[in-house]
Order: sequence, then structure tokens, then C-alpha cells
Amino acid sequence: MGNLLEHMGIEKQRLHFSWISSAEATKFVNVAKEVTNAVRALEPNNKFVKTLD
Amino acid sequence: MIKFKINGKKVQGEEGQYVIQVAEKYGITIPTLCHHKALEPAGMCRMCTVELFNGRNTKFVTACNYPIWEGMEINTDTEAVHQGRKLIVEMLYARCPEVPLLKKLAKEYEIETVRFPKQDDDCILCGLCVRMCEKMGNSAISLTGRGVDMKIDTPFGIQSDTCLACGACASVCPTGHITLEKIKNEITKKNPFIIPSEYEMGLKGRKPIYVPYAQAVPNNPAIDRDVCMHFKTGGCQICTEVCQMDAIDHSMEDEIIEIDVGSVILSPGFKPFDPSKFDNYMYSNYPNVMTTMEFERILSASGPTQGHLTRLSDNKEPKKIAWFQCIGSRDTNKCDNSYCSSVCCMYAIKEAMIAKEHQGDDLDCSIFFMDMRTPGKEFERYYQNAKEKHGINFIRSRAHSITEVPDTNDLEVRYVNEKGVIQTEIFDIIVLSVGIEIPDETRKFAEKIGIEITENGFCKTDSFEPVKTSRDGIYVAGAFNGPKDIPESVLDASAAASAAGDSLSKARNTLTKIPESVPEINVTGERPRIGVFVCDCGSNINGVVNCAEITEYARTLPFVEFAQESLYTCSQDTQDKMVEYIKEKNLNRVVVAACTPKTHEPLFQETLTNSGLNKYLFEMTNIRNQNSWVHKNNPDLATEKAKDLVRMAVAKSGLAEPLTEEKINLNEKVVIIGGGIAGMAAAKSLASQGYETHIIEQQNFLGGQALKLYRTAKGEDVQLKLKQLINDVSSMDKIKIHLNTTLKSVDGFVGNFKSKLLKQEKDFEIEHGIAIIATGAKGCETSEYCFGENPKIITSLDLDKMLIKNDPEINNINSAVFIQCVGSRETKRPYCSRVCCTHSIENAIILKTKKPEMDIYILYRDIRTYGEKELLYKKARDIGVIFIRYDVNAKPEVTTKGNEISVKVKDHILDMLLEIKPDIVTLATAIVPNKDEKLANFFKVPINEDNFFVEKHAKLGPAEFATDGVFLCGSCHYPKSLDEAVTQAKASASRALTLLSKKDNLYTSGNVADINPMYCSSCGICVSICPYSAPLFTTEGRFKDKAEINPILCKGCGLCVSSCRSGAIHLKGFDTNQIFAQIYALDKAV
Amino acid sequence: MTKEKRKIVAFLCNWCSYGAADLAGVSRMQYPADIRVIRVPCTGRVSPKFILSAFRQGADGVWVSG
Repeated sequence: MGNLLEHMGIEKQRLHFSWISSAEATKFVNVAKEVTNAVRALEPNNKFVKTLD
Repeated sequence: MIKFKINGKKVQGEEGQYVIQVAEKYGITIPTLCHHKALEPAGMCRMCTVELFNGRNTKFVTACNYPIWEGMEINTDTEAVHQGRKLIVEMLYARCPEVPLLKKLAKEYEIETVRFPKQDDDCILCGLCVRMCEKMGNSAISLTGRGVDMKIDTPFGIQSDTCLACGACASVCPTGHITLEKIKNEITKKNPFIIPSEYEMGLKGRKPIYVPYAQAVPNNPAIDRDVCMHFKTGGCQICTEVCQMDAIDHSMEDEIIEIDVGSVILSPGFKPFDPSKFDNYMYSNYPNVMTTMEFERILSASGPTQGHLTRLSDNKEPKKIAWFQCIGSRDTNKCDNSYCSSVCCMYAIKEAMIAKEHQGDDLDCSIFFMDMRTPGKEFERYYQNAKEKHGINFIRSRAHSITEVPDTNDLEVRYVNEKGVIQTEIFDIIVLSVGIEIPDETRKFAEKIGIEITENGFCKTDSFEPVKTSRDGIYVAGAFNGPKDIPESVLDASAAASAAGDSLSKARNTLTKIPESVPEINVTGERPRIGVFVCDCGSNINGVVNCAEITEYARTLPFVEFAQESLYTCSQDTQDKMVEYIKEKNLNRVVVAACTPKTHEPLFQETLTNSGLNKYLFEMTNIRNQNSWVHKNNPDLATEKAKDLVRMAVAKSGLAEPLTEEKINLNEKVVIIGGGIAGMAAAKSLASQGYETHIIEQQNFLGGQALKLYRTAKGEDVQLKLKQLINDVSSMDKIKIHLNTTLKSVDGFVGNFKSKLLKQEKDFEIEHGIAIIATGAKGCETSEYCFGENPKIITSLDLDKMLIKNDPEINNINSAVFIQCVGSRETKRPYCSRVCCTHSIENAIILKTKKPEMDIYILYRDIRTYGEKELLYKKARDIGVIFIRYDVNAKPEVTTKGNEISVKVKDHILDMLLEIKPDIVTLATAIVPNKDEKLANFFKVPINEDNFFVEKHAKLGPAEFATDGVFLCGSCHYPKSLDEAVTQAKASASRALTLLSKKDNLYTSGNVADINPMYCSSCGICVSICPYSAPLFTTEGRFKDKAEINPILCKGCGLCVSSCRSGAIHLKGFDTNQIFAQIYALDKAV
Repeated sequence: MTKEKRKIVAFLCNWCSYGAADLAGVSRMQYPADIRVIRVPCTGRVSPKFILSAFRQGADGVWVSG
């Protein structure tokens, strides 16, 4: 999936996978922060947005 | 309604409201120091001054006590207002330059130099404390003196009798002028204290009105009458004023309610041992000596330190922690608890592991113990991992006392190590592993209702009736029935439920009321008419998210016919209104934006059903747990996120379709595989509740391993009781016994199994709805310790056999040796067989009683007589049985020479090699399950690496499998004593009964996958990928060879849907177009 | 078009991560508000099409969590 995105010009860092059990609230928050930081480090995703033309 | 303007914005308020109240409602902040919403405004601080334009001219008024009127115009932040506030701050700052609040304000108002002489006061004379005290119905303090001498004081400046030390004044003081110290030393004659939170083990305070803990059921606040001020003075009642639902009624009184019942179950639980009476451990004096219950809170993310592991004395992160085991257990010296509490070894290891997880591997953890008792399923492995992989130190020693190192609060411990050398070590924290104790109230209660208890206060029960008290109709579950861990408590609970039901089966369903059902409206093909309900959840959501704005926004969304905000959407009156709205506005879809669907979806679905809508036309979006609660400091972002979530939910809802739930036909017959104690006990329970039960036994007799046992740990005659049980089972009409029978194959699923059986070369078939696996276990074979070389070297079961037939050989024995852990707790078979310690000790006592001059040696690694079985261990020592501990790396050596047996073992205490020449050697061989992979495959149930069956959940589902309709009990789950096997048998029957009793209301979920056979390419991916074997190829008819899904087996995970290449599979309720709709709805969000 | 904030689509498993997210709320833990949750019965439900579609709709990130 990551490779496909790269191929299309979408940075790999935009896609995240994780496994969190329902008791791991702390882990959820940590991963949520990680994901957000990783995405914020990139430019906004403008490349692949559907446009009207 | 009064309409006026604040800062040019149109607002409205109610008659009698003040400016500040309306401003707050609209999110306009007006600074204030002396305002409190629970108190009458006083206009003391003047910070809330705002500009009022009355149509002709402007003037300054204080927002806190200026009533609103039609047409007025308020400006809260003009330059003049700002300058006025700045001057107030400057003067107060000069008066109290050290108060953090004023420092902060000074910074905000950019005051660098103060033009007034600086003083060193810390009271701003806001009078909040005085008004609060008055509100409490007390008036113990007031503003005294005049002009510059004005201050807060008690009458005559002496410590007051009137003050009740409630601390309300300190709680509202904005500057920290009034503290608990000050109340204690200057204001009151009483002793102010922080109300200890019971849940936080007193490590944190709580309020007089409180929810015991976050997950409490019911999750409603309670008022503690003993500390609530209203019950002391008649004042306060702030809670009543604040509660928007008028739910608080201080005039409620306790009442006695009588209920007619047929059975009673006692589950009063235990109390943790209080170590403060031990003067050697100084629990009450040293802050860093704590109990395991307190440490548990320190480790918890919701605990007093938010899960940050720190010391109580100085908030320092600890480097070294020690656990002391058996505090208040196995101790008749300093307390009267001779039993073992069963759970402490395991929870201490767990705490050490979690502490290491929190703090990293550098944390040094030591556990001081006598015997390490980890006889539970998977426990021994956990212990070995803790020791070997996680480096937790296990020290076999009981430390005599703890002393505090002066100035540091560190704790010094002196102990004797295994070599007999005195060691001194310093720890940062010492955790006392406190045991389980039955409180006096429970003992008194037991006496009152006339049930027998043991000398330790636990309920007396029979091994064959392990949840029945001495009084008919009263049953027992949990720690009151002997100290126990979670899985055993859960088993007890289920067993007690079925035991209580056995005697009541005739009365079942005689008092059932059937709710009126509303016919379902057909909405297929209708244009979506969506109703959106936005929940404020009091201030839980509305305090952060602007719910009015969300509701307004929802009205603009496509297909939304109606949107409404409510204070508590889940309350009964809102539910009733929802039904009305659905009917009145002809809604055919409902979206609720509130808390989490995981807890509240069923409630709202029921409301839909009550209004005639299919419950799957409901959609819920989570704007509390996943929004307002987690973005508290970003109300704007949270509101925006809530809009997105509502839009996405509405988009999905528009595509929702009514779904049907398939009725599951449940065959009421039960098949039990295994005719041992467990199988028979389960059958007896099921049959006495009226269900036809078939016992399948491969041998030509019933009874299993129990036939080989002499006495139970409680001294009961096993053969006598077993015979009774076999007679009972054989004589019950509802029980069919199939001896010499094996299972050949099983087809089907919950409610509809078809089992093919083979009996003496004849095939037959049983159709049944439920299966219970009770295939048991047996003693393992061994070649260790010269077993088989000399007839005097026997297994524990052989010794039982001798005892059963009262073999005269026994009288010729002068010296007997028992060797424990033969084949258990070794690399090859790492688990502990749980029952062998008790079994050997019990037999040793029997031998010693028969022939007191007999020398008896028990060679052991750890004695694991958990619970009240510990009393047997004590008795054995008292009557002179000799216990010698050996190490797994230096096992005893047994040699034979002719008729002579020699046992050599190293004694750790004497540190020398002993040689015994016994007449008999009994080996406590490991218990191994009757591994049956075929059976596991038949019912699709898992087996672990030790060949035991794996239950649904180690703690919460110990008698059932993850496969619906299949249950387990007895030693095929894990080695267990006879009473434990019976308990689990009754528990499995209970779980089966839960299913059986739903016979007429058993439906599948509507959220299942469905295949459109027209698109199916028969590729087989869904068939191979499904973990529940739900899809199968159709074998006949028009769509032969196309896949089809059995909705009963489908768990609705959607794996097949996303892997279907042809797009033939749809997941109802989470269909592809619905998820796409949610994704497309993002578009506008971006 | 420039965007100040980012938008991240999170496909959360109803039984695992969605529960963890609820619990994080109960514990009042705070985290950034960029995430928009789509609840799915299981991460097995998430098809690559969803991920691509989310990016096409302008999502700055996608998070799949079981």
C-alpha cells in the first residue's frame, strides 16, 4: 500500500497502521499524537485532491 | 425572554438574570475575582465592570449584579473598561504582590511598575469565603474592621466553635489566603481533614457528593451524609441548584424494601488486610511503605499520579522497589490468619512487571517470599518469565523489620538470605502484599442468617456442592467462599447462578411480562428524512462544543428534516419525546451525536423500535469520548470536528437500510463429552433445569479420575460421594448416558449441531444445540526416580488406591517419602499441576494419623497449598511430617538396590546432603490433559501449548469457548481439585442455560455480510479467509457453486467484503457505499 | 488552497481501537483534534479503496488501527 502511494506521489508517512487493544487508552493517545505529528510535518495534501476540471 | 446586545451581538436572557450570566451562556468572558455562580453576587472586586449604553448615554455597571433589561447594549471590552480593570489589578497587585493569581493578571494587563506602595498581604477582601460560609448555613467568619484594617476573621479573632471545618472557604479562596493549615490553626477548634477517596485507597481526596469511580455502576453521584454540610446545618444545597435535571432530593430517607425470592446468593467479598497493626513494618509511620492496593492505584493511569510511578514522600521516581509477601496471610504469630490468600504472589509479580513497564528495565524489583504460589493457568510461565526475562529478583526470605534512613525516607531492610547470611538493602518503596480477610460484618451477617463459616470466616461448603451454604436455598460466590482470583470468582458466580436456578426451575418464566411490540413501518424506497439529536450531556459536551451551533448546522445538511439539542438525550423524557418527533415529523432515519455507541447504541435502537422504525436505521456519532473530553482546551476545533462528525454520520445514515435479524432455531439438547466428575455435575445441573442431556463416555463406566481418589482436601470420602453422584445421574430421566462411545464427527453451529457417534461399532447421530467438553486429564507417565524399578516406588494415585482398599501393606511402612513436582514446572512441562501439594500433604496426614511413629518426608520445591488448604500444611508440620525443599537443578536422587530404596536430597537449611531409606516413595506426577485434536477441530476450539483447551477469556470467560454454544469444564481446562471441577461444571451449565433460556428470542445480528450470487465468481476467497467459516459454496439450486453466508456464524467483521474481487459481498450496516459516503462527506471538511 | 489544520481519517476497529479511544476520553487524556473517526466492525473491513478515496477527498493522512 505504501509503495502504491509513493508511486502515486503520496508520501508514505501519510498512512499509518497500528494495533491497540481496547484497554490501551494511553497507547491510543500516543499513537494519535505520533500520527498527527507525522502528518503535520508534511505539506497539506493538495496533490491528489479531486478537482472540477 | 429579554433581548439585548453584548458587544454588538444579539443575545437573550431570562427575566431576573444578571449580565454576567447571559454573557457566560454566549461564551463571552468577563473577568471577575469575587463572583461565584453558586453565590449571590456582591460586586466586591469591580473587575467585572462593563459599559452600559441605555440609548442616550453610557455608564459603568458591574456585570455580576446588574440585571438585564430589554434593549440594553453592553460592551465588555472597551478601552475605558480595560483601563478601569487595569487600575483595579494594579492596586490589588500592590496589596498582594506574591499571589500567583495577581502576578498573572498583572502580566496580562501589562503592568510593569506598580505606582502604589507594595504590601505583603495575600487577601483581596473579595468576601467569597464569607458568602460561602453563609451559604453553608454557618457564618463562622466575616469581614471585620473598617477601612485599611478590614480583614477576614472569626468573631473576636479566636478559634471558633461554630466553624465545622468543612473547608468550603478554602475551596473558593482565589488567592490562597485561606488554607487548611490556617483553618486548623486560626479558624476552627475542630480538625479539618481531606475526605479520603475510598477508591483511591485514601491517596486522594473526594467531595461529599461524588461518583465512587469512573466505571461505577450505576454511574450516579452519591451524597455522603456524614460529611455533607446540608445534613449538618440545613444550608448549602448548591448541588440542587446546579443540577439541571432536579435529580437531587436531600429529604430522601432510607427505606426497607421486601422482595419475595426463592434463592439467595451471597457475594459479600473480602477486605484487604490492614497492616497498620504490624509495628515492625511501620506502615502508618513511613510514607514509602504502602500496600499493594495503594500501589495498584499508583500504577493506574486514572490513579492519583496519573500512572506516573513516584514515591509518596517526595515525588521522586523510585529506583528500587521491594514487595513483602504474606502480609496478613499464613501468619498466626502477628495476626490470626493461618490461611493463604491465594492471589498475592501472582499480583505482586504482576505489579513488579507493570512497574518495570512504566519505569524501564533499570527499575530494580525484588519480591520477598516464603513459597512462590503460582498454581493458576499460565501463572507459572508468567513467574518464570518475570524471573528469567525481566530480571525480577525473587528472594526466599521473610524480612523482620523496616527502618527508615534518616532525612531521605528511604527504607532499610535486613534479612537472612538462603545461605543464612544477613543482608542489608535499601529500597525506595516497600510494598506490603496484603492478604484477603473476611470483615467482621460478614461474619456477623453469616451468623444472623444462620450459615456455617470456617474459623477464618469463609463460608463452609461441601466439595461436591461447592457453592451451596449450610442453609437450603442460600448459595455463595467469590472470596467469601475462600480466597480466590478473578477466574475462580467468575466460575463461582456462574455456578451459584445455576445452583440457585436448579431449585427454581419450575417457577421459571411465571412472572415474565411481555412488552407490547410496535409494528414496524416499512420505509423502503422512501426518501431519507433524517432526525438529528445533539446531546449536551449536561456540560460534558456543551461545555466545550457549541451544541446550539451544531444543531443549527445539522439543519442545513441534506435530507435532515429535523434537528434538536437536548440536555441529556439518553434521559427517559428525551426518549419519549424522540418517539413523538419520529411520528410527528415522519422521520425514517435517526442520528444521535452524543457519547459512544458502544454503551448507548442499544438504548437508542430500542427507542427506534418503540416508534416503529427498524433499529438499524439508527446512526450514532461520538462527540463526547472522542471529542469534547479529549479536546477540552480547543472549543473551536472541537466544534468544527463535531460538525464534521455529524455531517459524516448524516451521510452514512441516508444510506442506512432496514435490516432483519434471522431467528436462530435452538435445539434444546445438550451433549457433554466426558463422564467424569465435571461432565456428570454439568449434566445434573442441566437436567434438573429440564434440559435433555447426553453424556458421551469412551470408557464403559462413569466417574473418570475421581474413581482413583481417596479423600478430598476437606476430608470427604470421594468414593462415597462419587457413587451418589453416579446414582443421581443414572436415575435422572433427562440424562442419557452413552458408554463405550466416541465422537466421529460434528457438523453445524450453535443451536444446530449434528454429532455422529460410534458405540460398539454402531453409528448413531444426535442433534443438539449445545456441547460441553469435559474430557479431563490424567497423571503423566514417568521414568524418573527409578519409577517402575521397584514396586515400592509408586504414584500419588497408586497410594490412594492402597488407601481405598485399606491395603495391609500400609501398616508395614515405617518411613515414607513424597517427591513433588515430578514432571511439573520443568522446561519440558512448565506448568504447575496445582493439586499435588495438597494431595501429598493430605495423604501424609492420613498415614501419620494411622501410624504416628511413621517417618514422613515431603520433598518439595514450593508448597502450594493455596487458600484454606494451607491449614493442612500447618497441621502436617504440627504432627511431625518433615518438609525438605529441593532445587530443580539439584533434584533428589533415588537409587534401588534389591529391595532397598535410598533417597538422597540436599537440605537447604542444614546445607548438607541427607540420605533417607524409605519403605515407600510416592511420586506426585504431573497432570496431563487427554489431548484430543480431533475434538478441537470438530468444535473449532483452540488448544494451548500445554495441550489444555483455551477458554474464551482467561478471567471473564473461564467456562466457555469463543465458539458460540460450546463450553468447557474440568481438568481439560487446567488441573484442578474436585470442588473446583464441580464449580466449573456448574458454571459451564450456567452459561449453557443462559443460551438455552433465550430459545425463543435468539436472533443473529443484522450487521452481517450478504452475498449477491449474481456477482459471485466462485473464486473461494471468502470461504478460505473467514475465521468463522460463515461463507460456503451452495451445493444445489439455481446458484449452485456460488458462495453464500450463514448469518448465524457471521460475526460481521467484513473481512470477506473487502477481499471480494467481484464486489458481490455487502456488509449490512457498514456497507461500502456507507463508508464511501462518510469519506466523501470529508470533502467539505477539508 | 492552503490549509492551516490537517485532516486525518482514522478507521478504527469497533472492538479494539474504538474502545481505546473511548477510554482515552473517559480518562480525559488530551490529543490533537485533527482526527476524524470512521468506526468499522474490524480493520478487515478496510479496503485499500477506502484509503485511496480518503486521500482523493483531500485527507492529509489515514490511520488504520485494529
